[in-house]
Amino acid sequence: MSASQADLLTALGQAIPAAQTSTEPAMLNQYGCDWTRAYEVAPAAVVFPKTEAEVVALVRQANAEDFKLVPSGGRTGLSGGAVASQGEVVVSFDKMNAISGFNAVDRLVTCEAGVVTANLQAFAQEQGLFYPVDFASSGSSHIGGNIATNAGGIKVIRYGLTRDWVAGLRVVTGTGELLTLNSGLVKNATGYDLRHLMIGSEGSLGLIVSADIKLAPAPEPQNVMVLGVPKLTDLLSVLTAFQQRLTVSAFEFFSDLCLRKVLAHRDLTAPLQQACEFYALVEFDESNLEAASDAFAFAMDQGWVVDGVVSQSEAQAASLWALREGISESIAADTPYKNDLAVRVSDVPEFLEAVQAEVVSNYPDFDVCWYGHIGDGNLHLNILKPKDLSVAEFVQRCEAMNPSIFAQVQQRNGSISAEHGVGLVKRDYLGYSRSAGELALMQGLKQLFDPNSVLNPGKLLR
Amino acid sequence: MKVLVPVKRVVDANVKVRVKPDNSGIDLSNVKMAVNPFCEIAIEEAVRLKEAGTATEVVAISVGASACQEQLRTCLALGADRAILVETDVDVQPLGIAKALAALQAKEEAELVIFGKQSIDGDNSQTGQMFAQLTGMSQGTFASEVAIDGGKVQVTREIDGGLQTIKISLPAVVTTDLRLNEPRYASLPNIMKAKKKSLDTVTADELGVDLTPSVEVVAVNPPAERAAGITVDSVEALVDKLKNEAKVIS
Repeated sequence: MSASQADLLTALGQAIPAAQTSTEPAMLNQYGCDWTRAYEVAPAAVVFPKTEAEVVALVRQANAEDFKLVPSGGRTGLSGGAVASQGEVVVSFDKMNAISGFNAVDRLVTCEAGVVTANLQAFAQEQGLFYPVDFASSGSSHIGGNIATNAGGIKVIRYGLTRDWVAGLRVVTGTGELLTLNSGLVKNATGYDLRHLMIGSEGSLGLIVSADIKLAPAPEPQNVMVLGVPKLTDLLSVLTAFQQRLTVSAFEFFSDLCLRKVLAHRDLTAPLQQACEFYALVEFDESNLEAASDAFAFAMDQGWVVDGVVSQSEAQAASLWALREGISESIAADTPYKNDLAVRVSDVPEFLEAVQAEVVSNYPDFDVCWYGHIGDGNLHLNILKPKDLSVAEFVQRCEAMNPSIFAQVQQRNGSISAEHGVGLVKRDYLGYSRSAGELALMQGLKQLFDPNSVLNPGKLLR
Repeated sequence: MKVLVPVKRVVDANVKVRVKPDNSGIDLSNVKMAVNPFCEIAIEEAVRLKEAGTATEVVAISVGASACQEQLRTCLALGADRAILVETDVDVQPLGIAKALAALQAKEEAELVIFGKQSIDGDNSQTGQMFAQLTGMSQGTFASEVAIDGGKVQVTREIDGGLQTIKISLPAVVTTDLRLNEPRYASLPNIMKAKKKSLDTVTADELGVDLTPSVEVVAVNPPAERAAGITVDSVEALVDKLKNEAKVIS
């Protein structure tokens, strides 16, 4: 053990019991990274606080002894927001995972930051209620991480983002001050809402230690349709046909290449007899089946869809969802280069065509998996690495293409990161979505909340 | 060859059911209902026989409340040619259902009747067997493979410890096991076409059948809840608990 590491452990020991600190290489490797694989993983230690007081003590020690902290939740991020590659101390919220309170009148549940999203969903269900933020990684991701990245997912079109469900926060700022923000109030017109500043701040302003989360009434049983849509540009017409007739809970799309990847990876059945260029997945309340069938018939008459299926049971609904939710995992072996773009919903069709044209003209040899939450204007563009290309060369070639894709985003005042956050991956491209004036204000806020830059340094902002 | 497929409307297999507070049964309010999964397999098998040219007509039948029409429409969308509902508000039991189906079979004279091996709500696994007895038809239960060959059906049965292959004569009853096939999704164009297919309703009286239940349900209780796990401090404490509390080692 080097002298500096011994010093660090001594400093940590004053904030948190030694049994809650690890420097085991396997632990450092595991806790020092998220789902990105492009960065070196090199934290100095990982700590597992169990109380707010321990988190406060850690931040104060970090300021006093000059070490850096990287907050870590379920580590399912895709932008490197939880990567520790410069000898930082990883603060894992694994041990702060209690659902510590529930009030049926307020429909509020108080969670520590480390509560796994799926556990919150299950808890809500036990109360006859519903936590509607959901995505493929909900079985691992933490509520704290969801808040720090303002996670979206598959039901945003109906229920909004994580932000819409956070009624209160407890946060330890970069100076070690514990703030209680909004406390579950419905109305609170008393100036700047720092709660909303914390949501999506990626651990750069404070460490979220607990949250008051709103719950929704339980939805009625859901039906799922998967439709075959030959032309990308018709997808929005299909969405409109549905939205004119009913409220949809989700409207997703994926390309045939995505479907083929999922079918090769998992034991699932192709939804349609004949393959189609693109597929739309629509979810809606069971009582709207008639209206949804009308929408389908209309879309078929217009020639926008050529075929479709509808779930007859929850098991079938889950299998159809798996076709969409399994994509990210099924293409993992192809080392995808991910872009998570957003434009206004109405701009989606021509934006899609413009980006598709960029990719095809620059890199005809790359396979592209298109999928995403088209109803939110959010497109996941995944470029797959050809087998014979090295990762380094592949990433370099993809990065070279970024400016032309991001310029398309900028032209439409879109977002270069719709829901994956900025982290390390998108940091240097932030200017495509944020003006110089905004960036300067963001730097100012960082300075205000975390003057010594001990919290997640280098993420989101330089 | 005409094929009859009796189907049952049940609580969706993925729903976590709750027992009514007075223990009289399961609370079905706002609960997703579906075709019994084994019946879905039966419909799929019948439709495949039709697609292969072996069957000429597939008729789906259900016995129960008018809401069962929903599940019969599903069967029509999946490929059944027509459907019959024996409509009743009685909480039907296997013997009554088997009698009603036998009365229909007397008119339909199907050569093959494919049942699900059991319904996931009652778990009785009785209706197919009772029907075979009432009609005097041969039966091949728990089928994982069905092959029609002339006037015979070769049925591979899932039995304890392996597979048993039997050959029975038509007309026959087959009940389906899980591995017989994987049901297809209901296609939306077919659902639209299915709206034009005929769905007839008859009553038990018209069939001359008495559906009065012969078994009385005394009480329904949920399974005992498992206690939460605990963390022990040492191996000694673990061994002590295993010996003296769990009594799994001595």
